[in-house]
Amino acid sequence: MGWDATTSRTDVTPRMARMLAGLLLVLGSWFIGQGLWIPVKAIAAQWLLQHAWTQTLKTQQPAKPWPWADTWPVGRLLVPRHGIDQIILADTSGQSLAFGPGKLSGRMKPGKPGGILLSGHRETHFQFLQFLQENDRIDLEWPTGGRTSYTVQRLTVVDSRHTHLRRHSNDEALILTTCYPFDAIVPGGPLRYVVRAEKF
Amino acid sequence: MNYWKQILLPLAFWLTGSVVDCLGLPPVSAQPPEPDVTAPSQQAGPDIPHGLSIRPMSGGPILPAPTVSTNVTTTISGLIVRTTVSQTFHNPSSEWAEGIYVFPLPDQAAVDHLRMRIGERVIEGIIQERGEAKNTFEQAKRKGQRASLLEQERSNVFTASVANLAPGEPIIVEIEYQDTVRYDQGRFSLRFPTVVGPRYIPGTPLSMVEAQPQSTGVGWAVNTNQVPDASRITPPVQHPGEGPINPLTLQIDLAPGFLLDRVESPTHPIQVDTHSNGRTHITLADPSTFADRDFELAWTPQASHEAQTQLFLEEHGGDTYGLLLFLPPQLIETGPGDIPREVIFVIDTSGSMAGASLVQAKAALKLAVSRLTPTDRFNIIQFNSITKQLFPLAVPAGTRSIQRALTHVNNLHAEGGTEMLPAVVQALSHQKEEQFSLRQVIFITDGLIGNEEEFFATLHRLLGQTRLFTVGIGSAPNGHFMRKAAQHGRGTFTYIGTTQEVQDKMHRLFVKLEQPAFLNLALEGSPDSAWDLLPVPLPDVYAGEPLMAAFRTTTTPAHLTISGTHGTVPWKRVLPFAAGLSRSGITVHWARQKISQLMDQQDSSAQPGQSDQQTELRQAVIDVAIKHHLVSRYTSLVAVETTPARPEHRPLHSHAMKTNLPHGMQYEAIFGWPQTATPSTLYLLLGIFMVWIGWVGTRQQAARM
Repeated sequence: MGWDATTSRTDVTPRMARMLAGLLLVLGSWFIGQGLWIPVKAIAAQWLLQHAWTQTLKTQQPAKPWPWADTWPVGRLLVPRHGIDQIILADTSGQSLAFGPGKLSGRMKPGKPGGILLSGHRETHFQFLQFLQENDRIDLEWPTGGRTSYTVQRLTVVDSRHTHLRRHSNDEALILTTCYPFDAIVPGGPLRYVVRAEKF
Repeated sequence: MNYWKQILLPLAFWLTGSVVDCLGLPPVSAQPPEPDVTAPSQQAGPDIPHGLSIRPMSGGPILPAPTVSTNVTTTISGLIVRTTVSQTFHNPSSEWAEGIYVFPLPDQAAVDHLRMRIGERVIEGIIQERGEAKNTFEQAKRKGQRASLLEQERSNVFTASVANLAPGEPIIVEIEYQDTVRYDQGRFSLRFPTVVGPRYIPGTPLSMVEAQPQSTGVGWAVNTNQVPDASRITPPVQHPGEGPINPLTLQIDLAPGFLLDRVESPTHPIQVDTHSNGRTHITLADPSTFADRDFELAWTPQASHEAQTQLFLEEHGGDTYGLLLFLPPQLIETGPGDIPREVIFVIDTSGSMAGASLVQAKAALKLAVSRLTPTDRFNIIQFNSITKQLFPLAVPAGTRSIQRALTHVNNLHAEGGTEMLPAVVQALSHQKEEQFSLRQVIFITDGLIGNEEEFFATLHRLLGQTRLFTVGIGSAPNGHFMRKAAQHGRGTFTYIGTTQEVQDKMHRLFVKLEQPAFLNLALEGSPDSAWDLLPVPLPDVYAGEPLMAAFRTTTTPAHLTISGTHGTVPWKRVLPFAAGLSRSGITVHWARQKISQLMDQQDSSAQPGQSDQQTELRQAVIDVAIKHHLVSRYTSLVAVETTPARPEHRPLHSHAMKTNLPHGMQYEAIFGWPQTATPSTLYLLLGIFMVWIGWVGTRQQAARM
């Protein structure tokens, strides 16, 4: 039995190729699953959050959407023209933004000075930001049940490396931010889309 | 999962990078930065500091800003430290400039001299009430005279303003202060901070009506109801990507008064030269050092020269001032578990802790949790924008709860704000005195908040029988916070600046936590009312620490009587007054302690309806400060050159001097924007690509068979 180049090639390569192909199929499916899980989670979480928000309005107390949650609803964002109805979460950590738009730490009380800054993921909750136009109406619902109306004033793109985000503001604007460009594939880019809305 | 991420993500980035190129998406740098987009459209003018929620870090005039380099010269004689900080301001532009530099000094520094050097000329600064000094400075500035002003914002935060810097001509501002060394468990040490770390500013912004004009600064934060002077303590921060600024040089002349065993710096490489006259000269080994972290020097005496009681005296204006260092007698010895304790660990997981600080904090916390014994109870509270605790109530430190705690600590990550008040309120609730003789709160933080006074007041009010110990983490922690929180919490403070220090520093802390403290300390001198002892009350002292007390008296007592209890055992020592040695600097030390005490009193009486007392205390601070030529919250040093230098037709450009981000901190975690993109598209594309390749591969195999 002599080993020669041709036999070894036909013998080993198909098995390796099969294994590699199989591996790629499994891994690829796993990635597709991960990719789909993000929007599914974003939608499913909002159902649970709507329930928690109803609780909050009833009891006037922060209500956790699920027992092990690290965050809780602090408001409701409504954009009638685009059919948007989302529950806003208490912070902007990675875990919270997976479930809904987050409010940058600070206060959120009606009648108190200070702007409100909301951030959301460009692939999920804040995808609609690209369709917003000047003079669109945005409503915020507070834990007290009261609502404040805003109209969109400016839409801009900023470079987060050169623009400093301040945690407080003296004017009572509502600012919505998300990552930019909307159709970018790799996360972590420096650009942000900024929507500024002022009280109606 | 992590393993695949390591291999596949770089591959994915490479793949999608080429995809992005193909799709012709705009490269990121092509977007013109348009910084003040969120400025209200009706408000024009970038010089209005409020009303914006997003503001450019750089911007304004394109003129190059002045630069500052710092040289520190320190002489240590026994316990007393004298330091001269020389800041050289240089104006590289072709226009006249003013530089406003917010910088730190040690939190106990008694600043008593300001000198302005222009070439060969030296102008000595004078002490004035803060408002008056500001007016003196502003007037000179308008007239074109060269002038410098030194103001205090916090015990450890100062502002130096230098006006009428001519193009290309440097001005040197010399600041001189006195400080004392720290002695703890056989080790002497000295800390010199070099940069004010970025502070978290809680609260709602003040409207223009509420804002105090004297509290308006050049910082990145706006003044809020909780931090009315936020804009004065938040100097702009240079992005680390733009390279370091503010070079630093340092020379220390050490005359410890005993034979040295070791001299070392845990923070910087140093060069040590010992001279035959018993003095040791220390310089930084690295010539390119920048103001981006605290400098610490530590020295230990040879075994036969252990520190013992020291009394120093100075005559001044008919009074005798004294400084006493006294090591209380060790009467009881206990080990871990001998005294059952309830220990509440509080760990700061805010954005400023991200990076090296969190690694150190986690290591320290894990060491402390592992050290607990089954007779102890414990809990862990973490806080950033929100406060969370591990167990609903403190639990016994059994194997399972410790294991759960260690896993919990491993999973902590740092982001968000530093809302510290809810955390301390939670740590001090649920006190059960009858069950445990000792309830200890270990507060692990960098202390980078702007509302320190509010924190101290809350702590003071809720403390009860609990004792609070601070562990200062990171390269530039807030020293004022560490000392004062420990003082109000009747505990003690520890610093950890590097991961290598965790083991040693935490073991020193464990000794203090597990040994009974020296309580009810009293120091009696002359019976008359002129006996003015500081601090009031004397603190509890922990194992290995000395009692440091300062006093003033008009009559000379025969003896000093020191008494207290160790655990439950009472003790008393008598020290002949004649044993005191004459030293200079003792008066200044007393005056600085007096100002500290008055400021503490003012903080604790800061309630509505107490304004009379507030005004009285303010006047008392001014009296002491003016008498002893000291900078305080209400007194500033100002130096003005008599002849105007700037021609009337030339304008003056004001610049806020930038500072470095403290070493090891992550810029994005503090100033960054929330991460608002997910990898869902990336995962989908990558998945589809792989499935496609795999499918094609399988098809080809099948075709071949």
